[in-house]
Amino acid sequence: MSDMRPEEPKEDETGSATKIAELEDRWKRALADLDNHRKRAARDAERQRFAERARTVAEWLPVVDNLERAIEHGGADCAVLLEGVRAVRDQALELLTRLGFPRQDDVGRPFDPTRHEAVATVPDAEVPEGTVVQVTRPGYGSGDGQLRPAQVVVSKGTQTDGPGS
Amino acid sequence: MAKAVGIDLGTTNSVIATTEDGHPTVIPNSEGSRTTPSVVAFTEQGERLVGQLARRQAILNPKGTIYSAKRFIGRRYDEVKSEINAVSFDVVAGPDGAVRFNVRGKQHAPEEISALVLRKLADDAGKFLGERVTEAVITVPAYFNDAQRQATRDAGKIAGLEVLRIINEPTAAALAYGLDKGANETVLIFDLGGGTFDVSLLSIGEGVVEVLATAGDGHLGGDDFDRRIVDHIADEFQRDNGIDLRQDPQALQRMFEAAEKAKVELSSVTQTTISLPFVTADATGPKHLNTTLMRSTFEQITGDLIERCTDPVETAMADAKVTANDVDEVILVGGSTRIPAVQALVRRLTAGKDPNMTVNPDEVVALGAAAQAGVIKGEVEDVVLLDVTPLSLGLETLGGVMTKIIERNTTIPARRTEVFSTAEDNQTAVDVVVLQGERERAADNRVLARFRLENIRPAPRGVPQIEVTFDIDANGILHVSARDKDTGAEQKVTISETSNLDQSEIERMIKDAEQHRSEDERLREVIDARNQLDSIAYQVEKRLQELGEGVPAHEKARAEMLVGDARQAIKEEAPVERLRNLAAELQQVFYGLTAATAGAGPSGRGGSGGPGPEGGPGAGGDEDVIDAEFTTDE
Repeated sequence: MSDMRPEEPKEDETGSATKIAELEDRWKRALADLDNHRKRAARDAERQRFAERARTVAEWLPVVDNLERAIEHGGADCAVLLEGVRAVRDQALELLTRLGFPRQDDVGRPFDPTRHEAVATVPDAEVPEGTVVQVTRPGYGSGDGQLRPAQVVVSKGTQTDGPGS
Repeated sequence: MAKAVGIDLGTTNSVIATTEDGHPTVIPNSEGSRTTPSVVAFTEQGERLVGQLARRQAILNPKGTIYSAKRFIGRRYDEVKSEINAVSFDVVAGPDGAVRFNVRGKQHAPEEISALVLRKLADDAGKFLGERVTEAVITVPAYFNDAQRQATRDAGKIAGLEVLRIINEPTAAALAYGLDKGANETVLIFDLGGGTFDVSLLSIGEGVVEVLATAGDGHLGGDDFDRRIVDHIADEFQRDNGIDLRQDPQALQRMFEAAEKAKVELSSVTQTTISLPFVTADATGPKHLNTTLMRSTFEQITGDLIERCTDPVETAMADAKVTANDVDEVILVGGSTRIPAVQALVRRLTAGKDPNMTVNPDEVVALGAAAQAGVIKGEVEDVVLLDVTPLSLGLETLGGVMTKIIERNTTIPARRTEVFSTAEDNQTAVDVVVLQGERERAADNRVLARFRLENIRPAPRGVPQIEVTFDIDANGILHVSARDKDTGAEQKVTISETSNLDQSEIERMIKDAEQHRSEDERLREVIDARNQLDSIAYQVEKRLQELGEGVPAHEKARAEMLVGDARQAIKEEAPVERLRNLAAELQQVFYGLTAATAGAGPSGRGGSGGPGPEGGPGAGGDEDVIDAEFTTDE
């Protein structure tokens, strides 16, 4: 920039010019900080709402698990009652789906640690190694909306490799 | 700008935290958890998994899943013989006898494993914060030697982090409690984590922290307590049903989950139920595990685990040459210190001292490390220290109460505007009394200034709009102005002594307010009720005048009677109940009168107008309120 006045600016003028620049910089940073903070607060609120809903729903999952177990263990002598329990279970599954956490069907899929938690291995010559052969506790939701991963039993080829600790 | 973080690199779990404007906060990982398992897996497909994902596949990949790397970092192969048997992966001697993990023929150094954990923590934190994380303070146990510290530092470097400092875990815990700022103190840190137990004694004075002694038990932690509960309920079940549930992997899994839950619950309640319906089945049908676990039973079956904490504490004290009475502060670290019996033990061993446990024990180390990172960054960076108002600032309003305009602890500079009005018809001046303090009654607070705004145009009470602005600049200087929105006339005052109180005076005033809170609240309630009643009585009266003959005689009589009662009640300082009942009745009457003559003039204003001392608060706002549409009471 061309300067009309040839003389050097006085020292304190340089000083105050620096000061002004510094203050302006800080001011802009403060505004930017505030703006960023606002954006993050909005994001955080969204995230927390989701997290809280997921937490609450997850607390109920053991009840659904136990309904499943009741159905599994039900004998022929209580078929009518069992039918009712099954209806209740289906109602619960439908509700979970509506809330955004559909039940995952994982048997036959390759093991994937983002969706599955391995609880045991079994030798199984029928399917490729690393296939989910049994779901001991189903997973709900997927991706970012995963409520909990499925607990699964995984095939381990034909050799009998016992589960580690 | 890159963020500096603090990382608690733990044996089983790690935590990362950062400092935001001086406040350390934990950052969740990409799975949304505040702690990340310190586990790394190398899968057969050549993938590397870190944290929760690695843990989920551990059982499939026992040789390729590395955990507890912290037990090996910076150590030589011949030093870790005892640890090798406790892990499922292969530990071998590498170059110069250093420890290496052998995974499918490839050797990995413990530093590399820790680096992968650090990298995940930093990456996830960066994603969360929206800016790259490049600098970190990392914590290590106080007993770590130079080689272990250096190796941890190297792990940070491998992870691409600039390690600002390696600090001791107990020191970080003390920092999280701000103990470095105090006088000379001896601090005991009791750290019972998931799988390790550490005791440290620190001497802290003038910002210098010295480790006096450390002791511990490398294999004692929360998991041991879970296992005791599992054994207890499995034994009970076996006795009653003849089935050992521990033989059934699925039942065992469910028992471990239930045990952990029961343990957590027993920290806040004295008994809990463990319910595992359909846990197994035999020829007779399904079996349910249903039992109650008392805290006393839990304490009995874990008594020896608790006892194992005693020796290390006593050893550390003896080594440091301090007695229980010399310990000034006790800090609890690690989730297992939530167990009441553990806390009782700590009290017993420290001459009954109340331990510090207000900071989450799972996060306290990371928070302290983050605070340290903040301090280190603060030394190089020019941070703007933001000040706060130590006490609330406000005005005296109708009934001799203080209406706060700027609440205490508001960050300054700050500017607040509220609109007030008059309390009497044709009031021509208002007195503005600027107050500082926390009490409800104006007279109990400090008067900073008073001034008068005159020449208000005659109008019914509640109509004039007086805009009062409080503006504190960064130096704590308060500017108060009052402006009549009708005439534009303005009066102002500048008060520079708001910050002249010394700390003890401020504390006294806050304590005073604390002490008198309930009586102050009652007082406030009475005055508010009185103001409200006065206002509604005034409105009814005015309405009657406006309507003149249009009101049926009986209604008019009733309204006038109620107004009379109200005036009397105000004069007699009747109890709140009476004031409120009358106000409610008058409100009804007022609506009746309005409805009877639909489309009547502006109503609903009024509220608590203020007399010689001021008007009731009107429309407020945190910025300049320009079009203060007049609303009523608070």
